[in-house]
This record gives sequence, C-alpha cells and structure tokens, in this order.
Amino acid sequence: MSGWTAAAAALLLCGVAPAACGAATGPVRRRVPAQNLTTTLLSLVILLLAQGYGRPAYTDPALVLAVLGPAGTLLYVRLLADQLAAHPPRPRSLLAVTALSYTAVPAVVLPLCVATGPGRAMVKLLVIGVLLVLGSRVAARAVTAAVSAGHGRTGPAEGMSDG
Amino acid sequence: MADDLPLLLGLLLVAAAGTAAVLVRDPVRQSFLLSLFGLALALVFLLLQAPDVALSQLAVGSALTPLMVLLSVRKVRRKARSERREEHE
Repeated sequence: MSGWTAAAAALLLCGVAPAACGAATGPVRRRVPAQNLTTTLLSLVILLLAQGYGRPAYTDPALVLAVLGPAGTLLYVRLLADQLAAHPPRPRSLLAVTALSYTAVPAVVLPLCVATGPGRAMVKLLVIGVLLVLGSRVAARAVTAAVSAGHGRTGPAEGMSDG
Repeated sequence: MADDLPLLLGLLLVAAAGTAAVLVRDPVRQSFLLSLFGLALALVFLLLQAPDVALSQLAVGSALTPLMVLLSVRKVRRKARSERREEHE
C-alpha cells in the first residue's frame, strides 16, 4: 500500500466521512455547505487514488466531480431557497467550510503536481484544483445570495399578508 | 488486507448511506442521502477498476437524482397548497 493510497484512505475516513455525516443529518442550513464540502473532498480522494494506483485516467472522475459537485449544490440552493432563507446558516460556519476546502485543495494538489512532474498531467491537475476552489467559492456565494434574497423577498410579502 | 482499506471504507460508506436513505422518511432529506449514496457508489466503482461506470454514476448521482426528487417535491407541495386554497374559497 503506497503512501498515496494511505493518504486517500485517511482523507476518506477523516474528511469525507464527517462531511457526509454533516450532509446526512441536521437542518438544511448545515446540509447544503456540507454536501459541497463532501464533493470537494471526494474529488481530492479520487486524485490521490489515481496517483496511488499509477493510473492517470482515474483523474477524469475527479474532473467531472469538480464540475458537477458545485452544480449539485447550486441545485439545492435554488430549490431549497425558502428553507435556507427561513433558517440561514451562520456566516462563520459557512466561512469555515469554505476555508477548509481552500486549504485542503492546495494541500493535496501541490504534492501531486510535484510527484507528477511538468507536463500535460500537471496542467490537468492544476485545472482540477482551480475548478475545485472556484466551485466552493461559487457555492458559498450562492448560499449567501439565496439568504439575502430570501430576506429581501419575505419582508414585503409578510407586510402584504398583514395588510 | 491493507491494500483493500479504501475499498472497505467505500463499501462501508455505501452501506451506511443506503441504509439511511431507506430509513429516512422525508423526501427532501432523502434527496441528500441519495446524492451521498451515488457519490459513495461512484467511489466503489472507481476502486473496482471501472472509471467509466464511475463517471456516469457521478453524473446521475450527484446532480440528476436530487434534481428529480426536489422538483417532484416542489410540484406536489405547490399542488397541495393550491388545492387547500380552493377549499378555503
């Protein structure tokens, strides 16, 4: 068992499993950021496994997940916007989740780039890393936007029902 | 045994997510669990040397399944709300 596979197993156990628990239980305000964190960390696990098994083709699912994970989060934000606006997530915990993915992505991608060496494979790894960081940023901004839009919308609507 | 550790963890994740998806009754919560189940299945497919199957499972599991479930929930709720309004009138 190589160090890369061991790192993937460790990240799976200590990163993906708690994030998945956060996405599986609790209120919607915690589930949505946790779901985004789960996809980001799982994509990193797939990258580590690709290096551990010595199969560059295994990075393709990581690339797909880096694109589709934030898309899924945006979907939840769009369709559960009223619940998110009613019980908005704490800005501090949202910031903590985003910061965690911002630190985890370079911590995994940069050693992989060093191990791969310069070339097309390294460019692909860097693209995946950039996509992952952008994805968490977009997801966090979408949650914040949904919360503020919900507040703007519920205010006048409540006033109208009172009148 | 040590080489199979990621596979073992993936299988455990699949078992936990699948059981939870069956036991939870609220469709909105189920959509989160189904998406997690899809992600875990994709990981297991990848570990069993089938990256092409993992690719399609990722597309279905992480985006399409929750979209279908949440859209249906939304439509049913809207219909129920409008029917209730008609009863009141």
